[in-house]
Amino acid sequence: MNEFVQTIKQTFKEVDLVLGWVRSPAAGVAVPACFHTPAQADDAVFDSTCMHNLVVHLPRLAGKKVGIVAKGCDARSIAQLVAEHAVDRSRVIVIGVHCPGMIDVKKAWRCFGFGKRISDAGGRVAMEGKTVAREEVLLQKCRGCRDWEPVICDVTAGGATKAATAPPAEPAGIRKRFAAMSPAERRQFWQDQFSRCIRCYACREACPLCFCRDQCAMQARDPGWATAAIDASQSWMAQLIRISHMAGRCSGCEECERACPVGIPLMLLLEEQNAVIEELFGYRAGAGPEVKPPLLTFNIKDDAWGES
Amino acid sequence: MIGVFICQCGTNISATVDTGKVAQAAAAMRGVADAESIQYACSDPGQAAIAAAIRHKRLDRVVIGACSPRMHEATFRRALDRAGLNPFMLEMVNIREHCSWIHSDVDQATEKAAGLVRKGIARVRHHLPLSAGKTAAVRRALVVGGGIAGIQAALDIAAAGIPVTLVEKSPTIGGNMARLDKTFPTLDCSSCILTPLMVEVKQHENIELMVNSEVDDVHGHVGNFEVDIRRKATCVDEKKCSGCMICQEKCPAKAPDDFNAGMGQSKAISVASPQAVPLVASLRKEHCRRFSGGKCRVCQKLCPAGAVDYGQQDEVVRQSFGAVVAATGYGFYDWTGAYPTYGMGLYPDVITSLQYERLLSASGPTGGHIRRPSDGAEPRQVVFISCIGSRDESVGRPQCCSVGCMYIAKQAILTKEHIPDSQSYIFYIDMRAGGKNYEEFARRAQTRYGTLYIRGRVGKIFPRWGKLVVMGTDTLVGDQVEIEADLVVLATGLTASDGAGGLARKFNISCDENGFMAEGHPKLKPVEAEAAGVFLAGACQGPKDIPATVAQAGAAAAKVIGLLSRGELETSPMVAAVSQSKCSGCFKCRDVCPFGAIEDERPAAGRTAARVLASLCRGCGICSAACPPGVISLSGYTDKQLLAEVVAALR
Repeated sequence: MNEFVQTIKQTFKEVDLVLGWVRSPAAGVAVPACFHTPAQADDAVFDSTCMHNLVVHLPRLAGKKVGIVAKGCDARSIAQLVAEHAVDRSRVIVIGVHCPGMIDVKKAWRCFGFGKRISDAGGRVAMEGKTVAREEVLLQKCRGCRDWEPVICDVTAGGATKAATAPPAEPAGIRKRFAAMSPAERRQFWQDQFSRCIRCYACREACPLCFCRDQCAMQARDPGWATAAIDASQSWMAQLIRISHMAGRCSGCEECERACPVGIPLMLLLEEQNAVIEELFGYRAGAGPEVKPPLLTFNIKDDAWGES
Repeated sequence: MIGVFICQCGTNISATVDTGKVAQAAAAMRGVADAESIQYACSDPGQAAIAAAIRHKRLDRVVIGACSPRMHEATFRRALDRAGLNPFMLEMVNIREHCSWIHSDVDQATEKAAGLVRKGIARVRHHLPLSAGKTAAVRRALVVGGGIAGIQAALDIAAAGIPVTLVEKSPTIGGNMARLDKTFPTLDCSSCILTPLMVEVKQHENIELMVNSEVDDVHGHVGNFEVDIRRKATCVDEKKCSGCMICQEKCPAKAPDDFNAGMGQSKAISVASPQAVPLVASLRKEHCRRFSGGKCRVCQKLCPAGAVDYGQQDEVVRQSFGAVVAATGYGFYDWTGAYPTYGMGLYPDVITSLQYERLLSASGPTGGHIRRPSDGAEPRQVVFISCIGSRDESVGRPQCCSVGCMYIAKQAILTKEHIPDSQSYIFYIDMRAGGKNYEEFARRAQTRYGTLYIRGRVGKIFPRWGKLVVMGTDTLVGDQVEIEADLVVLATGLTASDGAGGLARKFNISCDENGFMAEGHPKLKPVEAEAAGVFLAGACQGPKDIPATVAQAGAAAAKVIGLLSRGELETSPMVAAVSQSKCSGCFKCRDVCPFGAIEDERPAAGRTAARVLASLCRGCGICSAACPPGVISLSGYTDKQLLAEVVAALR
């Protein structure tokens, strides 16, 4: 029995259940799992396909005492939820893991084909004889990662060394193209993107910070900021409501974009907003469980705007 | 059934907006049963027409296109109430300040007015009847500042039987007036008319006097301000000290004399002045030998009452008040940095008018004999220069100090009375003597007391053979003037007092560009601050003389008495409300609420939800902006209403 599984099993002394990962026999990659007994935790794994942010389940488990395996970025989501009183810190045991940088499984499958076991060693990702450089299939958020060390952690369960992470973040692909666009081109770009939206709300369901659930303003009929019509302008409006509600709260876990079945690059909007918040207030969401988010602060001497 | 009434406001609106057309456009909208143009909607016949329409056409909501709601919203709410409608079924659309007054093209202004009214109609459809609540008011007033303004306000409020706490930051009340020798235009002895009031404050059963105290922190709102007052440690037990001044006599540590504007010397432990109220010593640690590392314990050893206690600590007292009067007074402009050609304060015989006032005063450092600071000689030639740090754009202070012309005339008269063979010169810009008997008084300074008035600015002052050469321009003659003076007195302008800005922030009082506190309306609310339940008295609101200060203090007191005499206050119904079944309990609303008006509640087992304390809520709406699902909303300003307005505006 390895050390990682051992650590999870030990937390059962304190918790009702543990959120972690098991390997999917069909797809060969890690999938989220909920362990209710120590025996179930025998199958727990942690590798570079554990890209999901399990924190999304935490607000819904309010009545239980929960253990959760958390990468550095996941820990920031927990810290933000704690700061927003959405999660009771005393009811969560955070099992921190050091993340090697996650592989974008969809990208990998595009290179190799679906459903085979992916191996990750020595800076190369391989499947059935084919290999590709790790950087090629790394998740966007892992480039220039600043969160190798979980900001909130009760038990450490090993993981990767720091050297294995953080290749530089340079705008590439769609980010590079988007940055070069004029405002009119950007407008057209989003018009095109949102014309594909099917209003499935997977973005919201995958987001750990979207805990309003049934009362979500994206869908509210009163006052009906956006209708439910499958129409680019309405979908765009609905998404902008969600994005603006993420101001100062989004930890950049990319779950919304990963969950989007039609591949709308939502992170372009959120990354921009996060950068503005960081510049104005020096704040990254999930800085710590005690840190008060700037937009949840009433401070008469707020100098972020250069006013006295 | 919506009624729309478009006010012509005489020609104020009708000159640039075709009110008939606006009414026509409104009449075509869904749900509008009546739309008319009225000459003066706020007049009796105007209100009667609105009431008649409400009754006859069975209106259930009303849009009035007229002036700013700040002007007449209350008027029209009452009109609706009289006609049997809920007063909050009214929407006022501002087509005067927001339209007719700022545009000249009739067609375009009419179109804009119609658009604004269209928004109002869209919004009023979502109005709901609201009713005002009541909240108990604490029957106690706080007066901050113990100058003549604060004294007068405190006495007037106390006379009505309402308890008052008077907080003064210095060791004695009396403020600047206590430091003046005589007052214009009657030449009454300042302390002779002030000290009886000071003593009355001390003795009044309804007044609690707290000197050496400052407002630390403020919570709450009109009717119930919770104020933390910090009593600063003075190392003297106020209850034991009899004011015998033995400590001051024997104290070996010299210290600047604040009361005498630095003209004399005081001691580290001292009584502010012989007429101080309360007559109690206080110790300034920064000058005391014991606190700068020495072993001196002279005052403690010699005090016959045993009142000296070096271990005294600041004490913070929390009190509740129903209303507050700010009477923080004024300070004098510090000229030394801004007028380099006047010697930057390096020439001892260039002094300020307040310092000169102390030289004139019998309780001052020279016992009422005019002696110049450099060599103690009696000056023969005295030059007064007006408008130092006032009416002077070059130092960024354009406003008039409003008392300078008069107090220099007074000081010139007093100079002649003290030293009959002296000659006074006054460099002035304009004579401003607008008050009752002021012009006659200033004229007397010239005719009976031989003061020479020279219209012009002084360019330079420099010392020569024990005298000060004052070089200036006489703009009436068009010539250079050079006067050899023994003493130069600068009539420094009035500024907001130190710390007034900090206090203003604590009570949500806004300040103007010169740092003076802003009144609610320059004409109609001269003593009310923007924040409800906070009133202004005296020079904290703007430079003014003693009679105006006393009058304003009385007015502020009358407002406080009016507010607190009923025992309870009506609260605005336009407060936040939570739909608890939808609340996720994240309490972002509680985090952002500036008034502490939100608390948690358990509507059902296992879940918490926000609850609004209506008496604390000020209706600012920050919570409703912070609530992600929008389940906390501001009554009268719901998302539905705002969105309806936006949609109508974009149509």
